Amino acid sequence: MEWTQESLRRVLAKALENGGDFADVYLENRHSLRMVRENQQLDKVSIGTDRGAGVRVVMSGSTAYAYTNDLTEEGLLEIAGVVAKAVEKGEQKKLKPFRQAESNVQVAPAIDPRQVKLAGKAQLLEKADEAARAVDKRVTQVSVVYRETLQDVLIANSRGYWAQDNRCRVALAIMVIAKDGEIMQTAYESIGGAAGFELLAEESVLEAARKAAEVAVRMLSAKPAPSGKMPVVLAAEAGGTMVHEACGHGLEADLVQKGVSVYAGKLGEQVAAKGVTVIDDATLPNHYGSYRYDDEGIPAQRTVLIEDGILKGYMYDLLTAEKDGVESTGNGRRESYHHRPIPRMSNTFIAPGTDKAEDIIADTPYGLYVTKMGGGQVNTATGDFVFEVSQGFLIRDGAVAEPVRGATLTGNGPEALKLIDRIGNDQGFTIGTCGKNGQGAPVCDAQPTIRIKELVVGGIADEEDAQ
Amino acid sequence: MSTILDLAQQAVEIAKSQGVSEVEAYSSQVAELEVEVSDGQVENLQKAEETGLSLRILKNGRLGFAYTNDLSRQGLERAVQEAIEITQVVPEDRFYSFPDPIDYEPLDLLDREYSRVPVEEKIELAKEIEAAARAYDSRVRKVRMAQYSERFYEVAIANSHGLAIFYQVTGFSGSTMAVAEADGVSETGWGFDFAHRLKELDPKRIGEEAARRSVEMLGAKRVASQKADIVLDPVVGAEFLGVIAPALTGEAVQKGKSLFYDKVGQEVASKVVNIVDDGRQVQGAAAAPVDDEGVPTGRTQLVAEGKLQGFLHSIYTAGKAGVEPTGNGLRSSYRGRPESSPSNIYLVPGDKGGEQIISEVQKGLYVTSVMGMHTANPISGDFSLGASGLWIENGEIAYPVRGVAIAGNIVSFLKSVVEVGSDLRFTGSYGAPTVRVSGISISG
Repeated sequence: MEWTQESLRRVLAKALENGGDFADVYLENRHSLRMVRENQQLDKVSIGTDRGAGVRVVMSGSTAYAYTNDLTEEGLLEIAGVVAKAVEKGEQKKLKPFRQAESNVQVAPAIDPRQVKLAGKAQLLEKADEAARAVDKRVTQVSVVYRETLQDVLIANSRGYWAQDNRCRVALAIMVIAKDGEIMQTAYESIGGAAGFELLAEESVLEAARKAAEVAVRMLSAKPAPSGKMPVVLAAEAGGTMVHEACGHGLEADLVQKGVSVYAGKLGEQVAAKGVTVIDDATLPNHYGSYRYDDEGIPAQRTVLIEDGILKGYMYDLLTAEKDGVESTGNGRRESYHHRPIPRMSNTFIAPGTDKAEDIIADTPYGLYVTKMGGGQVNTATGDFVFEVSQGFLIRDGAVAEPVRGATLTGNGPEALKLIDRIGNDQGFTIGTCGKNGQGAPVCDAQPTIRIKELVVGGIADEEDAQ
Repeated sequence: MSTILDLAQQAVEIAKSQGVSEVEAYSSQVAELEVEVSDGQVENLQKAEETGLSLRILKNGRLGFAYTNDLSRQGLERAVQEAIEITQVVPEDRFYSFPDPIDYEPLDLLDREYSRVPVEEKIELAKEIEAAARAYDSRVRKVRMAQYSERFYEVAIANSHGLAIFYQVTGFSGSTMAVAEADGVSETGWGFDFAHRLKELDPKRIGEEAARRSVEMLGAKRVASQKADIVLDPVVGAEFLGVIAPALTGEAVQKGKSLFYDKVGQEVASKVVNIVDDGRQVQGAAAAPVDDEGVPTGRTQLVAEGKLQGFLHSIYTAGKAGVEPTGNGLRSSYRGRPESSPSNIYLVPGDKGGEQIISEVQKGLYVTSVMGMHTANPISGDFSLGASGLWIENGEIAYPVRGVAIAGNIVSFLKSVVEVGSDLRFTGSYGAPTVRVSGISISG
């Protein structure tokens, strides 16, 4: 994007003309491609261009934000004038000279996805479709969705931050429906990252497609899940929905400061079982939640949230950091120029422990073994969470037994974390789009195999079927 | 009067000049204001304006789609090129077509006064929401996200058949979350309201609803696992309808993703259940005179006395099914293509008030909030939700309940509905009255 420092300085000066503690401008140019294959044909393809800018001014804790897709200097000055008017008259701040912030995260897509022709991408989707169908005759429907986003951002603020980033993300998801008589089961696999088209090597795509098909077929013979309290073993490959819901959201500083997090005021306290370490790390190479700079221009970081069960810190953006008198942890993210930044997770995970996964199962006489988690939700104020089990098995006498369907896990974040009694030495990642305040953000979550002594399983089996 | 209709027509002309004979342009312009207050101070104020356009191009029966908000001639030409590029890789599909111009009844959804109301008064409205929540009960300790928002949008559709549509809509909403505390335990409650006219928005009601919902949950207990009747609050009923609605679209049926696909004429719910979709129902947030392809909206009876009547259709799905489009070709924004989708969909109200329905329950759970509705499986119909609410004993509210799971399958759930109340309420574009469902498994 061709913007001179002088013209953005004029925009920031305009935003602060009535005073204000801070102002920033965010410019974005995004190319998106989405391809959907369904019913064994290329069903929907769309290409889009989104360009826009947002200007923000902050004064004594209140924020005014305006955006436009008129990307002329006049257009920017106009929205800067809108936010300036929202500020009550105050002291005028001097703008600091711009300097480029340093990020040590290396992101260089080997293959720019735009260089791969539409026909080539269509072919990859077709091969994935065929690979999934080849697994079993009971696979009746396969959808494959490919997404690429190239996003150029430029962020400048009144404190002199100037950051430019070119982000490239690709993702491919496969959804399989298997049917046997009246029974229908679905399964889902995805691959995605802050990377180029090299991430979607044919072998890994086909493997994911086969896996989704195998899971859907396997779940056809699943029995309704039992209900009630029981030990739950979450496999590493199940992904990190649990850590995301059970503690991630509650450790976002805006929720903590508003007093709607169960983790508020608990720094230095035991909030999880000993041995549990939770980290948010936006610097992991090529991961879906990674970036070089956050959407406030702060270099990406690795932040220890919980260490050996003790609460160590929260995830901050600039505003919440200032309120607590700390530095931003580089977690200020936004979906697009339509939104102001808020503290968000990036790649969030429970660090591996020392137990072998098979030992954890062997030491569990009865319980639920979760190998794939679905979506989830949390009430951060109470810590109550729920998430669905897309693929689960019962554990009987220390061995994985029959598959079960329709289970959800409900619990309370801090309670569940304190009940973790085994931590595996493995780790599995899942990608997703996390929603908060109406903004979606690409994230990645991970965990090792863990056992929670007791969670409420909401199953659909009748009372008499349980156990 | 309308620059975006000019813009849409310009895009159609550009495509034609590139040798495209079948083309449609959809353009929207949105102006929004959002105010959030906290402790009587403005915490956030957001103002936005955006115009964008998307194109559908049909070439040899192949559909290309591209969108842009770069509205320069160059930007529009690029979008035309991208859409043409797509027509080179997608298969031919004869069911895509664009409508001819047709007369339709306009719908008055525009508040002509609101832009004259100064921002200060709108900020005051958000403050009134917060104050009403605090004033309701001293146990309300925090009020979060007390918000006022307004949205003015204009839509223009033009196509190569000469269709030229333009309309304007305003929408106003307020919402907040109250946090009540007692004995060191916090409970939360939401309140919200929506109207097409600013003066119809009632800040006091929004704040008090949030406060009431948080306070009534204080002292919540868990209950033992059992089978019992549940009564759904209208807000929760609307969430359930949100799970069912996608299965009632032509697209879901034609893609084998609807659990209702072969059930037309059959009983899919108990006799008391009637479901209607109506784009002209002005209480709903999705009201519009025409859909996003230019087909007039109207009332479609989907379920009548428990029997499935049909599905919601865009021009494409209607053509494929051999029926008339129902005016349900809707887009999420100009960035999306029209898909058969519900507009304002609701459970038709019955005779009994919500309180009367509760008073007739011997033992059961009045569900006021659920979590994890988005995890319900729309294909198998299986759901399992975190729920909280109020326990009913002998027709009276006994105590609040939290941390239970309710599970089942949407098909048997619909057949177990025994009462539908008279108190229809819309949550966005989904509407439901109080509903009683019998014999649901609750796990504590």
